[in-house]
Amino acid sequence: MLLEVEGLDVRYGRNHAIKGLDLELAQGEIVTVLGANGAGKSSLLKAVQGTVKPAAGTVRLNGETVTGWSSPKRVRAGLTLVPEGRQIFVSLSVHENLQMGAYTRSDGFEQEIEEIYDRFPNLAARRDMMASVLSGGEQQMLAISRALLAKPRIMMLDEPSLGLSPILVQSLFELIEDLNRDGLTILLVEQNTHMALQTAHRGYVLELGATVLSGTAEELLADDRLEEAYLGGN
Amino acid sequence: MDLSQLPQQIVNGLMLGGVYVMVAVAFTLIIGMLNFLNFTVPALFMLAAVLMWAILEGHGIALDLTAITVLLVLAMMAADRLQHAKLPAPLKTGAALGLAAAACIAVWLVISLKPGDPVFAWLDGAAGKSGRWVVGIAVALFTVAMLSLLIERFTYRYMKAKYGDATEHALPLVSSLGFLIVLEHTVISTWGSDSLTTASPFGHASFTLGPVLFSVPQLISLILSLAIVFGLSIMLRTTKLGRALRSIAERPDTAPLMGVEVGRIVPVVYVIAGLLCAIAGILFTINYTTVDAYVGDTVATVAIAGMVLGGLGNVWGAIIGAMLIGMVEVMSIYAVGATFKKIPIWGLLLMILIVRPTGLFGHTAIGKGKF
Repeated sequence: MLLEVEGLDVRYGRNHAIKGLDLELAQGEIVTVLGANGAGKSSLLKAVQGTVKPAAGTVRLNGETVTGWSSPKRVRAGLTLVPEGRQIFVSLSVHENLQMGAYTRSDGFEQEIEEIYDRFPNLAARRDMMASVLSGGEQQMLAISRALLAKPRIMMLDEPSLGLSPILVQSLFELIEDLNRDGLTILLVEQNTHMALQTAHRGYVLELGATVLSGTAEELLADDRLEEAYLGGN
Repeated sequence: MDLSQLPQQIVNGLMLGGVYVMVAVAFTLIIGMLNFLNFTVPALFMLAAVLMWAILEGHGIALDLTAITVLLVLAMMAADRLQHAKLPAPLKTGAALGLAAAACIAVWLVISLKPGDPVFAWLDGAAGKSGRWVVGIAVALFTVAMLSLLIERFTYRYMKAKYGDATEHALPLVSSLGFLIVLEHTVISTWGSDSLTTASPFGHASFTLGPVLFSVPQLISLILSLAIVFGLSIMLRTTKLGRALRSIAERPDTAPLMGVEVGRIVPVVYVIAGLLCAIAGILFTINYTTVDAYVGDTVATVAIAGMVLGGLGNVWGAIIGAMLIGMVEVMSIYAVGATFKKIPIWGLLLMILIVRPTGLFGHTAIGKGKF
């Protein structure tokens, strides 16, 4: 397994956000994590990336335990997170945002930036402008491109479709499939259940910090309990 | 008013502005990145100015202060290592107490044995009396750099560890104020609170250009300070470190997702800001030859006015604002006399803030993320 999460427990003070969660991610997979607001999806990604310290549990990357590692160290090990709300640096130019993505790298990455510009002509046209001029969709493309420049093995995306028009959501999921075909392993947290399950190979459904349902995308799509999880069960 | 003096006064204003520029930029770096007004800026400026004075005047005890600073930094570094070490809790407590005791004994030994005097005598013999300024610059820069590492721990690192985000609390401001008071009283208890004067190591080297008299050390200071702040500004714009600094300033929680080790970069910022203060303090002693324990307060309040005038947290704003305020100060002395010089400075600031609350080049939002 490329990524293994075992018995993960995350607490914020009295709030028990994740309760003993297990999750696996194999090389080349797209796995989606679904659930209502407050189910613990974002906390899971933060704990895997290392920006939140888990109260218990282990995270293993390619067999190596990384639980105690800092976030930057995990980036170097091939784990990258596209955070919720894109969080691009609006006081930096588009080009500088991409350079920040490659912060951990000492090899040449200018060629890769050019390839990104070829893929997203809108970014190329605004390369020297402040990133604040980008539209929501362009910001999401920039956030994903920025994460790609770290040369990750696993890319985690936290609600990438949030606030995008249906057409942009469509092209976003096509991009995710493209990246996966090129060999990138993807862990996708989504509210857009339908799109996520059409793209992913497998999925987990969380409710109040625990897995209530898991299986292949086809199984989950056919399962009535999926909707219950969103409506709060019972 | 004798207008023939005007060109001379403009030159004097630029020279004074050069000192303010570095102090204002030091403030700006910390405000832009960590969102707090760092009162250790006047403290470090004063300390460097006084250490420079002390070495020029042959006070070996200055080296004792350096030694104590180094001891405290080493003790804190050891304490940090200890905290992350995998040891049983009682052993850790014991080791921490032992470390604290060792640090206290070492500091007490320095205070009672005063090893600075013989070391200084040896240095003085090697460098010669005329070479004291080299020793003074080295001692002041080194001591301030070490002290910056200590200050970073108490105004940022430990609060960040405890509260997650140090900058959301008033604690850094208060602890930096604590450093200012401690350092001022260290200087007072060592040398008293009176004015401390020395002879300029460069005598009265000067040349005239038309009606204007240029002092060579002042001219060198101005060129040096502008070169340093422009260099810093270019570093922020174009280098990898500069990009990392700006990304931390804007989003301290997102920068680590890019692989930026914020905990390792913040001390670098403290040392850069500290060295700016130190260079300004050293140049102040060389040029104006009179310092005291409160010289930092005097210079820093004016530098703050310059920074606010230019726009809070903006490096270019700080540079231009500080130059402007230096000019206003000199012109006020020229026009209304030294007694009233503060009225035009602060009056101008208040008027500009009424018309443009963000300062001349500032952003509308007060807070993080601006260089």
